[in-house]
Amino acid sequence: MIVRREIEERTGRNISIGAVYATLARLEAKGYVSSFAGEPTPQRGGRATRLFRVEAAGKRALQISEQTIRSMSAGLKDRWGTI
Amino acid sequence: MRPCSPPTFLCLLLESVLPDPYREAIIGDLIEQYTLRVESTSRFSASCWFLSQACRSVPPMVWCWLRSGNCFINISVAVGVFIFMATLKFAADLTISKLVSPDQTTDVILAPIVFLTITAIGGCVAARIRRGATLFLALMVTITVATLIELKVCSVPVPWWYQFGFLTIGPLAVMITPTLFGPLKQQGSVT
Repeated sequence: MIVRREIEERTGRNISIGAVYATLARLEAKGYVSSFAGEPTPQRGGRATRLFRVEAAGKRALQISEQTIRSMSAGLKDRWGTI
Repeated sequence: MRPCSPPTFLCLLLESVLPDPYREAIIGDLIEQYTLRVESTSRFSASCWFLSQACRSVPPMVWCWLRSGNCFINISVAVGVFIFMATLKFAADLTISKLVSPDQTTDVILAPIVFLTITAIGGCVAARIRRGATLFLALMVTITVATLIELKVCSVPVPWWYQFGFLTIGPLAVMITPTLFGPLKQQGSVT
């Protein structure tokens, strides 16, 4: 839920919980994150939460993605400047 | 204070549709957020939000699960259970025809009872073997009923809602019945 709230605050878009978990499931399958069950609480109707941890491979992939986005943005700025 | 609970039907539906291992987490998140929304807005508004989240959360999760490759095992289980259900239906029809004299009214009354019982048993058996198989089994039941309606197998004139009932309640029975019995089993195992 924290992940979803964070994405919503940063993007300003209303996203579904299922979409977040589907993405996290794909990341977990690729070995970028790992998950484990937390403690069930009464606020959650006695259901356990799922906690995620970013793995080393995930951090590396994140760095590469961040560099790619940054260089793409720089290219876009250059182009906008010339148009 | 007891937290207010979201619509039970939607919870049961989510419970039966969402795949493991994220089912608990998704429903838990939805319940937690629902409680917060009831406190900040209204129960109606929170229920609308819950419904929209439930509808939007199922497709990506099911698609993700289908892509993971587990679906082939689930389809196999669903086909097996479907054959078991067909055998059960055949046996039930045979028994009824021997016990009760063939009559159109009796058929119209007994058919939904037999159908619902068999779909509920099938759903429980499928869920017992593999939880995800219930979704495919429900799909197979829907296709079968729709085909039988289209082929006009029923010679007795019945109202439209009678056939529509088979089409909707059958798949729902497959998916929801295991969930109804599931929590009882879980509660029993907790010490």
